Amino acid sequence: MEEIIIAYGEYNNGKLHPASLEILTPLYDIAERLGKKLVLLLLTEDFERAQSLPELKKALCHYVWIVSAPELKDYRDDLYSEVIIELSKREMPYGVFFPATFQGMSLAPRIAGALQVGLCAHVNDLKLEGDNLLMFRPTYGDNIIASLYSTTIPIMATLSLGAFVIKENPFSPQISKYEMPPEFKWQSKMKIRKSKPLIKEPSRLSVAKIVLAGGMGLKTKENLALLRELAKVLRAEVGVTRPLCHAGWAKEEEMIGVSGVSVRPKLYIGFGISGAIQHTLGMENSEFIIAVNTDKEAPLVKMAHLSLICDAGELIKSLLKQLSRESN
Amino acid sequence: MDKVIVCIKGVPKPGTVKVDPETHTLKRESAELILNPMDRSALEMAMRLKDKYNCEVVVITMGPPNAVPLLREAYSLGADKMILLSDRLFAGSDTLATSRVLARAISNLKPFSLVLMGLKSIDGETAQVPPETASLLGLPSVTNVKQISVEGEKVIVVRETDYSEEEIEVDLPAVLSVTPYLDYYRPPSFKRMLEARKLDPLILSAQDLALPEELLGLKGSPTQVHSVFEKKIMERGEIWEGSPEELAKRLIDLLKEKEIFKN
Repeated sequence: MEEIIIAYGEYNNGKLHPASLEILTPLYDIAERLGKKLVLLLLTEDFERAQSLPELKKALCHYVWIVSAPELKDYRDDLYSEVIIELSKREMPYGVFFPATFQGMSLAPRIAGALQVGLCAHVNDLKLEGDNLLMFRPTYGDNIIASLYSTTIPIMATLSLGAFVIKENPFSPQISKYEMPPEFKWQSKMKIRKSKPLIKEPSRLSVAKIVLAGGMGLKTKENLALLRELAKVLRAEVGVTRPLCHAGWAKEEEMIGVSGVSVRPKLYIGFGISGAIQHTLGMENSEFIIAVNTDKEAPLVKMAHLSLICDAGELIKSLLKQLSRESN
Repeated sequence: MDKVIVCIKGVPKPGTVKVDPETHTLKRESAELILNPMDRSALEMAMRLKDKYNCEVVVITMGPPNAVPLLREAYSLGADKMILLSDRLFAGSDTLATSRVLARAISNLKPFSLVLMGLKSIDGETAQVPPETASLLGLPSVTNVKQISVEGEKVIVVRETDYSEEEIEVDLPAVLSVTPYLDYYRPPSFKRMLEARKLDPLILSAQDLALPEELLGLKGSPTQVHSVFEKKIMERGEIWEGSPEELAKRLIDLLKEKEIFKN
């Protein structure tokens, strides 16, 4: 018992969510060290199509299990969670982990509730200390990180998006169909009537080469608009801090940080960002960090490779002016 | 649609949070509590349902007695009943222990049609409590809902996932978490604000809810803090000072040098 670790493989419309491959990286290492097997679990209505996914052949896990049934065509929270609850009761995994995607964040709590086990959110690092699996996430206070553990099995967590780098498996995992018990009830209290694909571009933030990030030090929404203009000129992606999201200036998918997206670009420039840990944990792996801030003591200024001490909005205006002059 | 329950949470007002330097836990008693901004969406949705279906709206919060003003705020927006779940035994609850308390209190309010909550709280940000509570109640849950309407014994919701906007038919009762981005939020009614001042919520303790101590608070929480530590900041890098114009010029030169900007 407790011989396997399950990673949720989010499979939608013929595609595997890359975040599902990201979480395999730390989990494989933990499985190897504990002498357990890592299972990537996919739920789908089409076994044949799912098993021929090219990514699966290189997925960093020991096994790929595919649960396939016509009822799994649409993502329905109650049925999907019921499948994983039933499977967990039968297989008694040591851990069940999810990427912090929409699906992961809506499934994991249902499963944790049903199994009456602990669930950590937005974990951005995992470490074994003896037999104890420690899960790290920022907590209250300046630059403070908490390590958490779970007193219950399976250990459960949602892992921060972009926090881990995808690694390929030199060997191919064994792919098989997982059969649910015949008495399992494939029922749901939900029925998807219509589904309209979102027109928004999928966020390229996590793979961007240059990221321009804005914080409250931008002071006005207009300055954020100017930052977007600058990003176009530099072919960069724009990210924001949590307070800007909460102020309604930007949407959550642009939020850099542990509860948003982690980035690791060649160049990161933070405009008017003081550097709360929730944000810095999501950008600290950037190759070159520039901070623009009026406050010399701001944490981001301290951790940056280069800091420009001035008003962020004014600097953006000057940059735009000088760049437009150069291109003319 | 006769009864809609809204769960709200008091979160520390940003900037007033005091952290215990020893334990790094939040001193909740010292902080000024405000209504979790994302719960405004759940309340607004509930009031829209009340306008349309004339249903009763019951608002619940779990927290210390200083959360009462938040319930009154919900009343001034149109809530009919206020319930405060308060007990020292609830302190230190993780999302499972919190969901146990909410699920029991909600279950005692049967029959109800819907439970609404904000997508997540701006302090913990886990977004776990709505689906976890639904699971404990054996009910379906839908997250990030932007529209709600009722057709007989079913509720029709529109939710936004990572991929699409979906219209879903859900059996009642159900638990929904509401998107933080609604087009409109009604202001509180002045008349109800005055009324609320004289009203006290129904206060329920662990004993009132018949919940055993070992399932509550820190003790009943399976996620535990192992340690807290300060993350060391890297060494200070180079600092440039000057006027924005000067700094912009130097920065552009640097970007060119690094071949990030070419003209």
